[in-house]
This record gives sequence, structure tokens and C-alpha cells, in this order.
Amino acid sequence: MRTGNFKETAGQLVALSDSKVVWGWAAALLVLMVAAPFLIGNYQVTLMVSAMIAVIGAVGLNMLTGTTGLISLGQAGFLAVGAYTNAILMMDYGWPFWLSMPAGGVAAAIISIFVGVPSLRLKGLYLAITTLAFSFIINHIILYAEGLTHGPNGIFVSNAKLFGIDFQRGKALYYLTLGIVVITVFAALNIQRTRIGRAWMAIRDHDIAARVMGIDLVRYKLLAFVVSSFIVGIAGALISLQIRFVNIDVFALILSIEALAIIILGGLGSIAGAILGAIFLSFLPEAIRLFFGLFADPNSSFYTTYVYEIRGIAYGVVIVAILRLKPEGLIGLWRDIRKYWSNWPLAY
Amino acid sequence: MDFFLLLIATGLVSGAAYGLIAMGFALIYKSTGVVNFAQGEMVMLTAYISYSLSTTFGLSFVPLMLLTIPISMLLGLALERIFIRPMLGEPIFAIVMVTVGLAVILRGVTIMIWGPDPFNFTAGISTEVVYVGSVPFYPAQLYLIAALGVLTLAGWIFLRFTRMGIAMRAVAANETAALLVGISVKRVHATAWAFSAAIASVAGVLFAANFKLAPDLWFQGLKSFPAVILGGLDSVIGSAAAGLVIGIIENLFQGYVGQGLREISGFIVIIIVLMVRPYGLFGSKDIERV
Repeated sequence: MRTGNFKETAGQLVALSDSKVVWGWAAALLVLMVAAPFLIGNYQVTLMVSAMIAVIGAVGLNMLTGTTGLISLGQAGFLAVGAYTNAILMMDYGWPFWLSMPAGGVAAAIISIFVGVPSLRLKGLYLAITTLAFSFIINHIILYAEGLTHGPNGIFVSNAKLFGIDFQRGKALYYLTLGIVVITVFAALNIQRTRIGRAWMAIRDHDIAARVMGIDLVRYKLLAFVVSSFIVGIAGALISLQIRFVNIDVFALILSIEALAIIILGGLGSIAGAILGAIFLSFLPEAIRLFFGLFADPNSSFYTTYVYEIRGIAYGVVIVAILRLKPEGLIGLWRDIRKYWSNWPLAY
Repeated sequence: MDFFLLLIATGLVSGAAYGLIAMGFALIYKSTGVVNFAQGEMVMLTAYISYSLSTTFGLSFVPLMLLTIPISMLLGLALERIFIRPMLGEPIFAIVMVTVGLAVILRGVTIMIWGPDPFNFTAGISTEVVYVGSVPFYPAQLYLIAALGVLTLAGWIFLRFTRMGIAMRAVAANETAALLVGISVKRVHATAWAFSAAIASVAGVLFAANFKLAPDLWFQGLKSFPAVILGGLDSVIGSAAAGLVIGIIENLFQGYVGQGLREISGFIVIIIVLMVRPYGLFGSKDIERV
């Protein structure tokens, strides 16, 4: 158990971590992540890239929904804007991908200002449904503005090269994504401990009280939308690089609900929770597939006919079970474990 | 003029379906504060159950509904008891997420039992065209509009005059105070789920009779969100009316503005309405103490 842990300055209170051990573990994790592509197969690398993109998106959404308390069901829309901007600039205008990806983030951020304006008047689920409406409208525009977006045909994304390295392939894409994950997580952790982050938390706890304390609601709510959507837009651009083909079906409404599921299951308001949730839900379908591979005869007709339904049911059951066990989400489970071991062998 | 009347008529039909589904949402939201993301799946599942009852017993519409509604209510009670009741007192977010999980489960179960192929389901309603004035209707369309009228009236009477309905409004107004005066909040929640499932079954059967019975029926749940929001999340009667409004607006957009605008016109309307009235047309405004 740690004792004698005194904070003497305000700076120490908001430090990311006061423990060298935590920094040590973080460094070890980073080294492991850098080394990972050499230790595992190509398929696993692809899975990890998907999981890391989900982490980026979840950290972005968490800033809006977890930290500022503005529930958004429009994530599919922002992802689509990021992905389409990246794809259009790369393929139709010949931009290099390292310029078009941030442009995707900027485009999503600009759109988010329009989506954010209703948030100044609406609360809770009314806001959630309004963002859902915007996501519907964005999808619609993409589908019908054929001159710009190629409509229902979608866009093939290729040739993301820099110094002769193809950044859409295995290891290169992995390191690109890993780099963005590290930057995003650090940026998010640091924003949370500035005035902006504290203002967002005050708005989440009670927006009228926050305004009374001198927080400009218009500015900070819109800022939350802009920052969060920039990150989500980058995640969208990464998706377009990874799957190599953007089409409106990729960004169905259900994706917004899944995004919300990630941060709620992980633990609302916590960046570590968003990361845990994203990793968990990205690997869950794979884990379920392996699990049924062990027990079910893959050739039995029942299993092959209903494989997606069986996995879907298992997915739902796991979500419900975790929330029943720990309504605070995975981060609550992690805190329990940590407390148990730091107090061990005492109970408290 | 005929074109206009026809648009209004078909708008009323699809609007009645939205209104019924939205009533189910509003009933659960009003008494439990939870948006039930599994509402669309409940509509789908109860419609499939009704389909099986209809093919097994070959019933006509009224006996079929007399059989379907109680079964749906039992289903609603069971879902509430298994999935929602254990979460009582937990954060609202967690409960909403449980309904998302429930939605995924119900979708999988429905497809596993009935398969992915669509069915033609008449629900024992004749398919001969009837003329109301100069506008042709299928009987199933009239049943749908009538069902919305009957259920709205029943809902109003229930919430206004019955003991349970008044208890439900008390829980909606203040859950703690309702507990203190001796209302069983658990029973109110269970009742809300049961009635919501009953409304879902009426919506599901009549929607399937009008269009088709297919595993994408659950998506109607999401498409009914504009109606729920326009009416105000906690207004059962308001969401029924808003359903009709959205249905008519969608059809007018489709008829006069452009084919593709149908799907988003409802959402455009709610954004505009919410900017003026942030709690929907009939929703109750939160008065906060800071």
C-alpha cells in the first residue's frame, strides 16, 4: 500500500501520474506495441489496427459524451465525413495522404460546429436524437451528391505512399495508427487537466452552475464538439485507408450506437475506460468466433447457417452481463482489481 | 388535388405506424426515464410471434390480436424482469446500454427462429381496396389508422382515470416521492414494459400486414425517433399525434420536393422544431434548481 503520498503544489495535483511505476508500465506497453507486428501474424496485425482505430474514435467520443456530458449519436456521420474527405482529396484531387488525413479531421470539425449549435439549447436524449438526425442527413447528402462523393458507387482508396512506403499495408499502417493513438491519448489526457478540461467537466456536472461560475457555455460546448469531431474525423480517415473502399454502408447508424456502447461499457468519462472498451468490443467478435470454434462443429448446418446470429446474441449477452456485473463499466472492474491488490492481504 | 389527398392518405398510414411505435417508446421513457433501444426489436419479434400464431391457427384479425396482445405483454414483463429490473437504481446510461444489448439479442433470436427471408403476412385482413371518399385504401391501412386512434384514446383514459395510470404519472413526475407515498415503482415499470410490448405488437402486426414481414422491421424503431422527439419524449399522446405529422410531412416532401428527401425530412423537421421548443411539442419542460 502506498503511504506518505503528499501533494504540495497544484501542479502535482494535476500531474498525469506521480508514480514512476506507472510511467514505467506505460513505456513497457509502448515498447510491446512497437514490437508487436514482429511477434504476431498479419491477420492479428489487421485486427489490432481496427482496434486502435476504435480507440481513437472512442477517445474522441469520450471527450464529448464522457467529459462534457453531451450525448452524441452522430459518430457515424463524423466518421463518414472524415473518411470521405480523405478519400475524395486523395483520389480525386491527388493530395498526399499525410495532408488529406488532417483535412478529414478539419472537415469533421467544421461540420460539428453546425451539429453543435443545437447543443446550446438541447439536453440529454433530445440532443442525442438531434445528432442522430444530423448523421442521417450527412449520410443522405453523401448518397445524393454524386458529383462530389460518387454517391452509391463509393470510392476506392489506394496509393497512400510516402518515401516509397505504402501506408495501407500491414506494418506501415500499424505504425501510422499507433503513432496517432499515442498522440491522441496524450493530447486527451493533457486537455483534461487544463482549464478547458475542467470547464467541460463542470458543464457535464451542471451546465447552469458552470455558467454561473463564469464558463462560457457557447464557447466550451462548441469547442468540445470541434475537438472531439476532429479526432473522430481522423479515425474516419484511417478507416478509409484500412478498408480501402469507402461506401455509405460502412457508416450505418448502428455504428453510432456501437461507439456509444464502447465508451459506456468501458466506463464513461475515463480515457482509460474508452481505451479498454474499444479494445474489448473490437476483439469480442473475434473471441466469440474462437470460442464457438472450440465447441461447435464448424460443419454442422445449424452453425453455418446462423453463425452471425449466434455471434450477435453472444455479443449482446456479454454487454448485458458486464453492465449487470459492473454498471460503471470495465474501468470499474479494473479499479476494483487494483484496490484489491494494493490492499492485499487486507480487505480494506 | 387528388395527388395531394393521396399523399395525405398514405402519409396518415405510415404516420400511424410511426405514432404507434413512438407511443411504445414514450410509455417506457415516461415511467422509467430510459429510452428503450429495443423497441423496434420488440415490434419485430411480436409481429413474428403473431405470424406464427396466424399460420398455426388460421385466425382472423380480431381473435389473432386477442391472442397476440396478451402474449406480447407476457414477453414485455419477462424482458423487464430479466434484463431491466436487476438494473434498478443503476446509472441511466447503463440501463440504456442494456436495452442496446437486448436489441442485439432479440434481433439474433428472431432471425434464428424464423430465418432471414421475408414473409407475406395479411394478419387475417382482406386485401380488397376500399374507397373513402375518392381515396383508395387497403383495409390494413385503415386498421392501422384506427388502431392508432383506439390506442391513443385508451392511453389517455388509462393515464388519466385508472389507478395504475395515475401511479405511472406520479412515478414520472418524481420517483422518490412516488415511492414515499407507497407506489410500487417496480410494478409501475413492469406495467410500462407490458403495455409498451402490447402497443409494439399492434404496431408490428399492422405494419407487417401493410408492407411485409422481414427481419429489417426493427429499423422502423430508429425511424420513429423523429415522432418520439417531436411529440416530446415523455408524452404518450403527443408522440401518437407527432407520428401522424411526421408521416404526412414525409409524404409531402416525397411528392413535391424529391424522392430521396423522404427519409430525412422528418429529421429536418425535428431539428427545426427542437430549436424553437427544446422539449418537443408536448413534452414537459424540466425546471431545474441549481
